Amino acid sequence: MIYKISDLIKIYGSRTVLDIPVLEIEKEQIYALLGANGAGKTTLLNILGLLEAPTAGQIQYRSRSVNYSESALQALRKEIVLVNQHPILFTTTVFKNLEFGLKIRKIDKKERVRIIDESLNLVGMREFSNAPAQHLSGGETQRVAIARALALSPRVFLCDEPTSSVDVENQNIIITILRRINEIKKISVLFTTHDRSQAARLANHTIVLNQGRLVPTMYENIFRGFLQTDPSGQPRCVIQDKIHLSIMEDQVIEKREAASVFIDPEKIVPLKPSEDPSTANVLQGRVVQMIEENGKVRIVVDAGVWVALLISKKRYQKIGFMVGETISLSIPPEAIHLI
Amino acid sequence: MDLLIDSFLSAFLLVISMDAEMVAIIGVSLKVSCASTALASMIGVPLGFGIAFGRFAGKRMTITLLNTMLALPTVVIGLFVYAFISRRGIFGPIDLLYTQHAIIIGQVILIIPVIGAFTIAAISRIDERYRQTARTLGANRRQTAWVVFREARFGIVAAIVAAFGRVISEIGISMMLGGNIRGFTRTMTTAMALEYDKGSFVLAVALGIVLLGLSFGMNLLFHFFQGRVQSQ
Repeated sequence: MIYKISDLIKIYGSRTVLDIPVLEIEKEQIYALLGANGAGKTTLLNILGLLEAPTAGQIQYRSRSVNYSESALQALRKEIVLVNQHPILFTTTVFKNLEFGLKIRKIDKKERVRIIDESLNLVGMREFSNAPAQHLSGGETQRVAIARALALSPRVFLCDEPTSSVDVENQNIIITILRRINEIKKISVLFTTHDRSQAARLANHTIVLNQGRLVPTMYENIFRGFLQTDPSGQPRCVIQDKIHLSIMEDQVIEKREAASVFIDPEKIVPLKPSEDPSTANVLQGRVVQMIEENGKVRIVVDAGVWVALLISKKRYQKIGFMVGETISLSIPPEAIHLI
Repeated sequence: MDLLIDSFLSAFLLVISMDAEMVAIIGVSLKVSCASTALASMIGVPLGFGIAFGRFAGKRMTITLLNTMLALPTVVIGLFVYAFISRRGIFGPIDLLYTQHAIIIGQVILIIPVIGAFTIAAISRIDERYRQTARTLGANRRQTAWVVFREARFGIVAAIVAAFGRVISEIGISMMLGGNIRGFTRTMTTAMALEYDKGSFVLAVALGIVLLGLSFGMNLLFHFFQGRVQSQ
């Protein structure tokens, strides 16, 4: 275990931005931290990077409680490196940017040159060694920032939205780098992203944050709507004024109108044209995406809102629909959770 | 009109011929201004850096006070320092009045707020991510401060250049504390005032031309460094 978080709370002013009862992060694994804007991803990353202290709660790093005295933090920070969403390079050469952290660690000149060369080579930026850092493009800056972090051989590599502001070519390069450093150097990697499929492709584990809280979901299929009662007295949730979904009565534990719901993608059933739905919750939509994921098939259907479902390959072969086709989805009330 | 044209022509000739008296006056001005700028930089830069970089109660008030002191009139500083170094003052026995040292003391007081306030502005402009990046790369507080200082270097040099421009052209302090003694405390501005009083414009205009040239050079330098800040 590299991190263990207990009862973590972070408050800015009067707003609670993080409220995490328990979170454990295993070493030498890749974690994706998913969540919408304002979900608390960057704050959590800063806390894990020991750049911010939590308002309350405890963080254990390598089975020891983090001591927030400046000298203790400084020692720990030498093992944990964070790369910002928009990283900033010092206004000097690429070489000197990489040399900064190595000099702090009192690594001798010859060794520094070797490490810098190796790190720049890893991110494909070796020929930029003497280039002024401020003249690099966004993608190049991101790669140099990653090289600058990797040169320090950290135990933990934290990366905030590493591919959000770079072109597709650089996105692929960065993903490959993250995978390689985890495989070869056994560095624990934790990165934030909005991209659900990128998280699925790259990460061993996914952590999802919604309004500062961990949610046991896969980020997608979270919708905002309101609750009402249908004519038969059954509670239902209305999403975007057009989708009415019956929900379990025991879900409504308090009287409220606005609500966020999560629909479990594994409990959504795609229907064959001849098949009768077992529930009143039936949506129709067009298949817009299909990918293989951990031995299953992830399908995204545009049913007015984008709904993702995860089905077995066997089930998929049995129904056999294609991208672009219209299908029906049966959503049992027990698949819908108020969050 | 003829007087003006004649004065300008004679002044140009004086500048070109490097008149000995004019050169001596320029020498005193440059010596005093350089010394006061160097001393004020040694105090003002760390002061501004400390205020900008530090987190302490009353920071906002300190910055407001420093900004207020930017408008301090030179005659007020002259009067204030005079009270301390005149024969009846606390430092009277040191015999500082009507010396170059006295001018330097006054000018240092004049430009510490300039350098301090401009340094604060230069440091405050530095993106917070530099500080965060330095810390995540393992830097301690001193090393982080050095990173921020390095990134703000052009802004700080611009502050020093602006301060030099302020002292080279001031007259109140030089006149009140230096006494305008020929060959000793006579600076370009005090000499110009004296020449004006005498009704002799040639040397005054010649010194004016040199002063304008120096100010122009200072402004060029200032904008060069400001430009470097903006291009960062």
